[in-house]
Amino acid sequence: MTTIEVLVALTGLYLAVGAVFSIPFALVGAGRIDPDARAATWGFRLLLLPGAALLWPILARRWATGAQPAEERTPHKCAARDRTGAEA
Amino acid sequence: MGHTYQAVQWNPQKKRYDQLVVGGVLLYLAVFMAVSAAVFPEATLETLLIRGLGTAALVLLHIILSIGPLARRDPRWLPLLYNRRHLGVTMATVAFLHGAFSTLQFHAFGDVNPIVSLFTSNTRVDSIAQFPFQPLGACALVIVVLMAATSHDFWLRNLSAPVWKALHMLVYVAYALILLHVALGSLQTESGTVTPAALGLGAVWLGALHLRAARAEGARDREEEVREAAAAEGWMDACGVDEIPEGRAKVVVAAGDRVAIFRSEGHLSALSSVCQHQNGPLGEGRVVDGLVVCPWHGFQYRPRCGTSPEPFDERVPTFRVRVEDGRVLLDPRPLPLGTETDPVPVSSAGSSPA
Ligand code: HEM
Ligand code: FES
Repeated sequence: MTTIEVLVALTGLYLAVGAVFSIPFALVGAGRIDPDARAATWGFRLLLLPGAALLWPILARRWATGAQPAEERTPHKCAARDRTGAEA
Repeated sequence: MGHTYQAVQWNPQKKRYDQLVVGGVLLYLAVFMAVSAAVFPEATLETLLIRGLGTAALVLLHIILSIGPLARRDPRWLPLLYNRRHLGVTMATVAFLHGAFSTLQFHAFGDVNPIVSLFTSNTRVDSIAQFPFQPLGACALVIVVLMAATSHDFWLRNLSAPVWKALHMLVYVAYALILLHVALGSLQTESGTVTPAALGLGAVWLGALHLRAARAEGARDREEEVREAAAAEGWMDACGVDEIPEGRAKVVVAAGDRVAIFRSEGHLSALSSVCQHQNGPLGEGRVVDGLVVCPWHGFQYRPRCGTSPEPFDERVPTFRVRVEDGRVLLDPRPLPLGTETDPVPVSSAGSSPA
């Protein structure tokens, strides 16, 4: 097998695993890592499949560790949080 | 969004917008193929379809990359910006069809796996005229499909904002790859000089738009940083009261980012100008029904406490302001999230809420 053939085969394997993973993720996993996805519509779940098949390692890790969505750190939010800490 | 997800938050305008986009793509394909068939009578239907889909994706990409800088300068472009994602998903779909048909047409009839063939049938990387331009298109396709697949807000929240934004900045890498794909491809096909010429014009147009937007922004920020440094720790002189029209905001820089000072029903209130959704410019939005509305996708915030109305739970920091001698003074330290500020009447003289 040439290098390209190996790479293409590995990519195919990666996507196949992702395709299988995406189904339980859309049904259950999404709601575990993000409460807003718990009662989401079927259309939304369908929309998750391609992204889940492509990015499954990240999602699998978040699902396994029970990670929750984080709030973004902007300069203002960091400064505001520092103040809350200082005054508490 | 602090609310149960839906596939698309449809409303009549969005439906119309999507009908226009899909109708526009189909119309473009029909016109492109008819004209090309007249100019290149020897070209097969498959070739015309491949070229039509490729150039349609390219046109969509130019529109997508133009909207941001255009909307900053002229709010009439905002409706396009609002629904930029729909354009992105359309572009990825059209590009995917182009790539899929090309792969079928040129690589599916041998004994080699078509994807392997796509990357191995031409290895003349030492030649410009014969350069394997198709793998360049394939790499760009991976990027645009990844972006389309992660365009829902779920991904923004769960991949985390920095990762999501980095992913979507890859659109510029995709653009560069596509530029090479088309330029090098045109050396190997007889598709005329129109596409390469349009490509050059498009690159100049996008470059100029982005440079201009960056320069305007940089100048504004430098001016503001000087003012911020002068204000140091205490209250800073933000602007004159009459510089803020009713229902709109004046944007100044404080605490390392932009602050929007809104005037609504004769009262002033200041909040971080950075929308929690995708860092949209809140200060370029307006107050509608007593709520600050982000110009990018319409998230709403209460001007006095920076929180979104029920059932949403977005929060941006607020700042204290006061009015003295017709000048608006701002305390540059953001208040803890959710802090309710006293509304400051525009006419107040020297009264401090502290
Ligand atoms: C797997 C991915 C891709 C493959 C295999 C592929 C293949 C090709 C081929 C074979 C041509 C030459 C067609 C001809 O003139 O006979 C072409 C042209 C072109 N491609 Fe792609 N492409 C891919 C991805 C993309 C993407 C992602 C875009 C842009 C969004 C794109 C835009 C174009 C354009 C604008 C042309 C020029 C059409 C013309 O000269 O009229 N391609 N591509
Ligand atoms: S950035 Fe999307 S609504 Fe503000």
